[in-house]
Amino acid sequence: MVLADLGRKINNALRSLSNATIINEEVLQSMLSEICRALLEADVNIRLVKKLRENVRSAIDFEEMASGLNKRKMIQSAVFRELVKLVDPGVKAWQPVKGKPNIIMFVGLQGSGKTTTCTKLAYYYQRKNWKTCLICADTFRAGAFDQLKQNATKARIPFYGSYTEADPVVIASDGVDKFKGENFEIIIVDTSGRHKQEDSLFEEMLQVYNTINPDNVIFVMDASIGQACEGQARAFKEKVDVGSVIVTKLDGHAKGGGALSAVAATQSPIIFIGTGEHTDDFEMFKTQPFIKKLLNMGDIEGLIDK
Amino acid sequence: FFSVFRGLVGAKGLTKEALQPALDTMGDHLIAKNVAADIAKKMCDSVATKLEGKVLGTFSTIAYTVKQSLNESLVQILTPKRRVDILRDVLESQRAGKPYVITFCGVNGVGKSTNLAKICFWLMENGFRVLIAACDTFRAGAVEQLRTHTARLSALHPPSMHGGRESVHLFEKGYGKDAAGIAMQAINTAREMRHDVVLVDTAGRMQDNEPLMRALAKLIAVNSPDLVLFVGEALVGNEAVDQLVKFNQALADHSNVQNPRTIDGIVLTKFDTIDDKVGAAISMTYTTGQPIVFVGTGQSYPDLRSLNAKAVVNALLK
Ligand SMILES: Nc1nc2c(ncn2[C@@H]2O[C@H](COP(=O)(O)OP(=O)(O)OP(=O)(O)O)[C@@H](O)[C@H]2O)c(=O)[nH]1
Ligand SMILES: Nc1nc2c(ncn2[C@@H]2O[C@H](COP(=O)(O)OP(=O)(O)OP(=O)(O)O)[C@@H](O)[C@H]2O)c(=O)[nH]1
Ligand SMILES: [Mg+2]
Ligand SMILES: [Mg+2]
Repeated sequence: MVLADLGRKINNALRSLSNATIINEEVLQSMLSEICRALLEADVNIRLVKKLRENVRSAIDFEEMASGLNKRKMIQSAVFRELVKLVDPGVKAWQPVKGKPNIIMFVGLQGSGKTTTCTKLAYYYQRKNWKTCLICADTFRAGAFDQLKQNATKARIPFYGSYTEADPVVIASDGVDKFKGENFEIIIVDTSGRHKQEDSLFEEMLQVYNTINPDNVIFVMDASIGQACEGQARAFKEKVDVGSVIVTKLDGHAKGGGALSAVAATQSPIIFIGTGEHTDDFEMFKTQPFIKKLLNMGDIEGLIDK
Repeated sequence: FFSVFRGLVGAKGLTKEALQPALDTMGDHLIAKNVAADIAKKMCDSVATKLEGKVLGTFSTIAYTVKQSLNESLVQILTPKRRVDILRDVLESQRAGKPYVITFCGVNGVGKSTNLAKICFWLMENGFRVLIAACDTFRAGAVEQLRTHTARLSALHPPSMHGGRESVHLFEKGYGKDAAGIAMQAINTAREMRHDVVLVDTAGRMQDNEPLMRALAKLIAVNSPDLVLFVGEALVGNEAVDQLVKFNQALADHSNVQNPRTIDGIVLTKFDTIDDKVGAAISMTYTTGQPIVFVGTGQSYPDLRSLNAKAVVNALLK
């Protein structure tokens, strides 16, 4: 994840504060430039980076601050407060409820990893003894049903889909009815990839959403995405009530900073990350512990909440 | 955004310091358009070098000079140093009696298989017979995906349109097998069956995954295709640079041959999903110097274009 990787760079930047004999505007600006460059290189949305810079700057008043030590602490905690804002939307992650059907709908851009991640999530719950199943409501992508079917079969997860029905709304609704009737607890619905520029695709998503009335909508984002993420994430959120984010392909070189703007745009927490193509390449993501870990790095421990 | 250069009017001879704030704004502008950060910086540096020491009288001349100089650099980056003319090369191969082989590679989910199918359609429209080689033997549904495309393409160009001969076939050996071997069998089959083109689909892989990168290098070294296309999506941010550098590097390092084949061209996909954030086109061409051969602009067969460099530059400067 971007912030974890950034830890070192941020540490270095902050250390420049300790090394400086006097801390003035110039020292602060150069430290901020260093941090902002690192964030931009990790694809964090440029508007978020600019806001971070402004917020830190305006939190610091050189006139009022007394000793050098104090200045350092204030600057460091201002930086961390802003970094935390990037990953923490301040909302609790949605949790399924035992003993009732929990309908989870996957949405996202083309090729972001929805179908693969559906099985990963199903597998995760199945191992925790939830009665879990998968529905393929992607009738567009060639081979989509085969893909889900092969993944589900390998992981021994019951699935539903059709080679002949062309309407994803019909499949989603039939599948949900069937599995509800069989007392499944986790019902995961995979949908086609789509993008905001194509209205008909967004309308289709809304129809599926309105028909199955999911308990949670998960927005799946590829870790390598750049500046286009924000606009797409916002558009998805405006159409359906996205409640969680999953960032995939974090096993690669990508830092996932672009995907972070999905957190801001959807006001939803990251709940899992994908770290490979196999079904168990999947890690739970908890915002608070992640931040704690981030803060525990080296000499910056305990800077926040003071 | 060129108004940021207004403050420089009348300066005696432009110094780097005087230019810096304006250049920073320009850099941010390029980054907001999804140009990779270090490439945006390099572009700013090159503009700075062109401007430094110049005495510019009015705002309009400064803004004009900056715009011109950025425009020039961008056009230069996007203008291919080498033309890839697939149709001509296929005809040449045809005369020599051997199939023309194109290999598609790239990271996961960028659109390799879909754009392979679009290129297949384009080749069929141009009267060529194509064999699709299903060499992604790993990802669930990969073979069925190509089978579906083959059936659809075949329905669009039935044998009745082509003197009773089927103009597209799928060569597949299911899952789990060695991709390089399947590609070789496919090419041999194409030679026997007189296909004009072989399109080799490969599994998506992360550029840092060494075993998978080695396997790709082997596939390419063993089969020496006529064209190696790297497929990258327009959505990608700073990773564009790393992907291309490492794919090229892996092909060079792991091939065990004298003159290793590297990437010959780029397919830039999902261009319909990014509005004016067209920076990946710059990041990719700047990094490799290789041309963008095709631009994918949608999910159906005709959604394939050549790069309109002028339109890309306009979107970047807007
Ligand atoms: N390396 C890696 N690859 C992944 C990960 N998650 C998914 N993939 C791969 O990404 C590619 C696309 O994944 P899919 O699950 O088909 O994506 P999708 O969003 O369902 O695609 P569409 O349905 O076409 O929109 C496949 O090659 C997957 O194996 C991950 O965490 N790491
Ligand atoms: N909007 C849009 N979608 C595209 C374009 N090209 C491909 N796609 C979609 O992107 C998704 C992934 O495409 P694939 O062709 O399966 O990608 P791939 O690179 O072969 O994926 P793997 O083999 O799993 O690595 C599919 O939903 C395609 O329809 C494009 O130009 N525009
Ligand atoms: Mg899918
Ligand atoms: Mg593929």
